[in-house]
Amino acid sequence: MSTEQAKPEETPNLTPGVFGQFLAEHDIPSTRLADSTGVETIEVTAANLEKALKRLRNSAETRMDFLVTVSGVESPENIESVYHLWSYEHTRELVIKVRVPKSTLGEDQLALMPTTASYWSAANWHERECYDLMGIRYVGHPYMRRILNPWDWEGYPLRHDYKQPLDALNDKNPVSFR
Amino acid sequence: MASELITLKTTGLKTDEMIINMGPQHPATHGVLRLLLTLDGEFVKHVEPVIGHLHRAQEWQGQNRTWFQYQALIDRVDYLSGMFTSWAMARSAEHIEDIKVPLRAEYYRVMVSEMNRITSHLLWLGTYLIDLGAMFGFPFYPFREREKLLDLFEAIAGQRMMFNYIRIGGVQHEAPDGWFAKLKQFTEDFPDRVDEYEAIVTENPIFLKRTKGVGRLKKSVAMDYGVTGPSLRASGVNYDLRKFKPYSVYDRLQFEVPVMEGDGDTWARYMCRIAEMRQSNEIIKQCMAQIPGGTADELREKRKACNSCGKEDCANCGGDLKLSGKKQMAGMRIKAGEGFAAVESPRGVLGCYIISNGSDKPARFRWRNPSFSNLSVLPELLVGSPIADIMAVFGSIDVILPDVDR
Repeated sequence: MSTEQAKPEETPNLTPGVFGQFLAEHDIPSTRLADSTGVETIEVTAANLEKALKRLRNSAETRMDFLVTVSGVESPENIESVYHLWSYEHTRELVIKVRVPKSTLGEDQLALMPTTASYWSAANWHERECYDLMGIRYVGHPYMRRILNPWDWEGYPLRHDYKQPLDALNDKNPVSFR
Repeated sequence: MASELITLKTTGLKTDEMIINMGPQHPATHGVLRLLLTLDGEFVKHVEPVIGHLHRAQEWQGQNRTWFQYQALIDRVDYLSGMFTSWAMARSAEHIEDIKVPLRAEYYRVMVSEMNRITSHLLWLGTYLIDLGAMFGFPFYPFREREKLLDLFEAIAGQRMMFNYIRIGGVQHEAPDGWFAKLKQFTEDFPDRVDEYEAIVTENPIFLKRTKGVGRLKKSVAMDYGVTGPSLRASGVNYDLRKFKPYSVYDRLQFEVPVMEGDGDTWARYMCRIAEMRQSNEIIKQCMAQIPGGTADELREKRKACNSCGKEDCANCGGDLKLSGKKQMAGMRIKAGEGFAAVESPRGVLGCYIISNGSDKPARFRWRNPSFSNLSVLPELLVGSPIADIMAVFGSIDVILPDVDR
């Protein structure tokens, strides 16, 4: 039995869920993806993300006002930014994914996403962390610097192609961390 | 405080700003935090928390170890509430694979987690008073009770702080003989002990002066920053996952979530945690009364009849009375899928986002730590306050730095 198994096929043509319909009513296109364990999961384009989040946060119908986390994810084809939205008023949940295909990125080119930190303070540190570990540059972020690693660190440690600096593990090396 | 800054400006009195480092090795940060402060005389003009000194690449480690291996490391994410970090990961994996956790294991989980919440708040209480300058030995009062609970943890899990007790599918061990009796004794004594702390601290004039009206966190600001836990509830937002989205067996238990009125100041956050300890104590009592199969001693006595057969259809061993819904073994796999699950830890919403590709290692492991979001609100609380209040405010949001840095 191989350790690598194929990812489950994402069934196309899923009917839009509650939030997908809501966004469609406001002329924001979205694609429904396979549910993330019972939670509606949609994909929006980078250009539409800010509009969609604003609409979902401010409308009286949705009130998705709790940004739980922003995660950077690398799948075989894409670099993704995943937003988990909850609410302080009701128990519905939503997962929004923004994808940048790796094929569109050149050598050493970072995936660009629009920032949400300018109007949602919770996103500020989470986006910095995604930049630090996954190498997603959030355009318009007020302070796009590394947060967990040192400011002069090279590379993005959670990427599949990340090469660990070998010297870091060599305790004979005077500049190693040990 | 901000108004005083303005007066200085308008009267034409000029002072130079001073940039100083607070930390990284500061005794009151309970870990390694560096605050880059811009000071105007006695007052804070700008704060930049510099984190990452305790970064241990927990997400990377999760992705490069098997499910079974990483379970043992999870307690280190937040060393004061290891039960909750294990539980968040276990719930997330159980969501993905749709594992049914036996009822007895769920009660064990709630019980040990609420004990863990008490130990975490007790340690906070003791150290917070030291942060405020109460060096007269008060911390030994909460530590006395904490020690009793740590002994109980050691008895059930084998470790005082790094438990590795809650596993994917259930819990690891049955409690040893006499454990329930000792816990019962503790829950009976504990409310009196909390009264003792309150007698010393709550109405203490020095404590009130240091905390009342200091570090006000507005409701809207807290919600904007994603602050959760007692720090949010002290600001008047009734948001507790145990009540709001009841998981495990919390919907079978009677308890109230303490919520404070008005803008949460440091004192409100203190009161909120004190009230939570009392509630947790009540929850433990109810769990001990409700747990299916009764206490471990009783169950062992019953199992003598069937010689602890462990069969699924046995009235004393199977069904609700099992301890795990998934067999624990080194090469265990979780089926492909993704899931996010969260628990209400002593510091707030502790979430775990896992993407599994069906192999023995997760493809992506992501922590959503309450301390990380709670710490990001610190500049809002500190700007304009005098330098002496920094530790009073920082201590009151109960940040655990390994939880921030992972």
